[in-house]
Amino acid sequence: MKIGIPQALIYWKRPFFWETFFQELGFDVLLSPKTNKEIIEVGTKISDPETCFSNKVYFGHLKWLEGKVDLVFVPRLKTNQEKLEYCPKFFGLPDLAKILLKTKILTQEFDEKKKSFQQSIIELGEKLKRKEKETRKALEKALFQEGILKEKAKEHFFEKIHSERKKIVLISHPYNLYDEFTNLRVKERLEKLNIEPIFIDEVPSSPLQGQAFAIQFHWEFGKEMMEKIEEVLKYPLSGAIQISSFACGCDAVLKEFVEKSFKEKNIPFLYLIIDEHTGEAGFQTRLEAFVDTL
Amino acid sequence: MEREPIVTFANWGNYTIAFKVLFESLGIRVVLPEKTNPQAILEGAKISPEMFCFPFKVNLGNYLSAIRNGANTIFMVTATGGSCRLRYYAVTQDKILKESGEKVNFIILDQGVRDIFLKVKKFSQKSIWQILRAAKLCLEMLFFIEKIEKKAAFLRPREIKKGKTDLVFSEAIKKLEKVKKEKDFKKVQKEILEEFSKIEIQKISNLPKVGIVGEIYTVCDPGVNFEIEKKLGREGIEVHKEITLSYHLSKKFLFVDWRIQRKIKKYLGSTVGGHGRDAIYEMLKYVKKGFDGVIQLLPAFCMPETTVRPILEKIHQETGIPFLSLSFDEEVAEAGIDTRLEAFVDVVKNYHESKKS
Repeated sequence: MKIGIPQALIYWKRPFFWETFFQELGFDVLLSPKTNKEIIEVGTKISDPETCFSNKVYFGHLKWLEGKVDLVFVPRLKTNQEKLEYCPKFFGLPDLAKILLKTKILTQEFDEKKKSFQQSIIELGEKLKRKEKETRKALEKALFQEGILKEKAKEHFFEKIHSERKKIVLISHPYNLYDEFTNLRVKERLEKLNIEPIFIDEVPSSPLQGQAFAIQFHWEFGKEMMEKIEEVLKYPLSGAIQISSFACGCDAVLKEFVEKSFKEKNIPFLYLIIDEHTGEAGFQTRLEAFVDTL
Repeated sequence: MEREPIVTFANWGNYTIAFKVLFESLGIRVVLPEKTNPQAILEGAKISPEMFCFPFKVNLGNYLSAIRNGANTIFMVTATGGSCRLRYYAVTQDKILKESGEKVNFIILDQGVRDIFLKVKKFSQKSIWQILRAAKLCLEMLFFIEKIEKKAAFLRPREIKKGKTDLVFSEAIKKLEKVKKEKDFKKVQKEILEEFSKIEIQKISNLPKVGIVGEIYTVCDPGVNFEIEKKLGREGIEVHKEITLSYHLSKKFLFVDWRIQRKIKKYLGSTVGGHGRDAIYEMLKYVKKGFDGVIQLLPAFCMPETTVRPILEKIHQETGIPFLSLSFDEEVAEAGIDTRLEAFVDVVKNYHESKKS
């Protein structure tokens, strides 16, 4: 049996975790390819016009998998370990996927307010007719793989932060940072301008004293981002760029507070919005202009 | 020197006067914002973050107009416990107002009886008894407003002299606005109901019916949705809406969410924040009751409503019931909405006729 995983949106929350997990359980896994123009076009066509760009990309990936696999995996992510919520648009993904695709959808709810992650994973294993023992073993392997990655990212960060070049921190959701097609290869562009881009994801988070912020987010990414920004501000930075998908509801709120924390420290801040119409030339001009001001 | 607090709050359709009475019966001075209008909306949108949802911008426009008229204290309810952006309305509005140089006292109320009670008590320095009485009056007025809104929706398509209902309705709101005490309220209530009973109507039972679903603020504020209920009513269509403030308040007590979730399981397996689930539930109900159309109203980019829209469209495809989705923001013009509405009215009437034969 073949399980398809769309390589977009929620995939980037835990890259390599899901494919390792399913492979360990003895399934074939098919990842959708890296985002390309066609996928975005299909996604824009089939999704609601007012949903966010990242969602449209996700639906494009889903459509690509249609017919190529037996099951498409679309988890319903609700709350994480800290009992903080994911974006409310994730809550409805499996249901929307069912409407869009003819291929069967494999789904599992992850709501740690009700059930622990392990329990949910075991339930998922049961749906695939695997015994608890097997599932536990696969989970361990997947977590191990993920751990290695995280370690690497940390080393990466310290390497970068001590670099001689000007450093710019890139703030966005993982699905915008790691999907090179949607963010128009911003990393590469900055490197060409002799800048050291640091992804906010790579910053080791330091669980802070809760009251340090003006605002308490109930979104896991909101809290994480604010914490990591607080941490990264301890190092010398030349500037910060926040990238948002067009129509991202959460970023409309986040941006206000992210911008504030940089402006308080007098660090130049650039806000970029990406969508299916973003032109490369305009993007490049804005980046260059920003780098010149540093 | 301490300023005398002059309270204001966001405008929300006809409910605004019910909130006003809550404060005035406690002896607090209130300055109402101007009724939501394109000018206020533009003003609010100017200082709001671009991608924030539409009600946020309207709220800010409301505050600004009230501040110009002397208000210095703003009360705003926040949806602690909800999943959507409403949760951050108050904090962000507070921040934006301060940044644009307004010196206001921003009081944030959680959506919980206890928190609202404590904060109002501290602010007004009145006894528990007085606050309870004010709250009772506020709620009674709220229910009464909903009652006459419902009445008007029923009368509008049936009235013989066109425009009579709207006239009576706006008179009623004006009268209610002047109420300050419980005693007056009883008298005014009686007068208003009498006026309504004087409206002459044709006795038609089988009118085309349209149900309105969607985001609660947009559905309930005629200033935002360009008086959609009136327009449909004048075209001879009976308009129903379930999503009202009293419905929202009742949700806190009666396990409504749990019951709704069971009914819509086939379409959606979880909450999506806001009133996303309710929209699906209501649409299914309207289909079952044999309605001739469903309209979804939402602020542009509203997270819960855009998530459920494909599902509503699927129900529309499955059952054939006419469906129209209208999203509103500061750039939407009334003429555009009117055109779409007119076309939809034709579809509804045709659908109604085709069902008869």
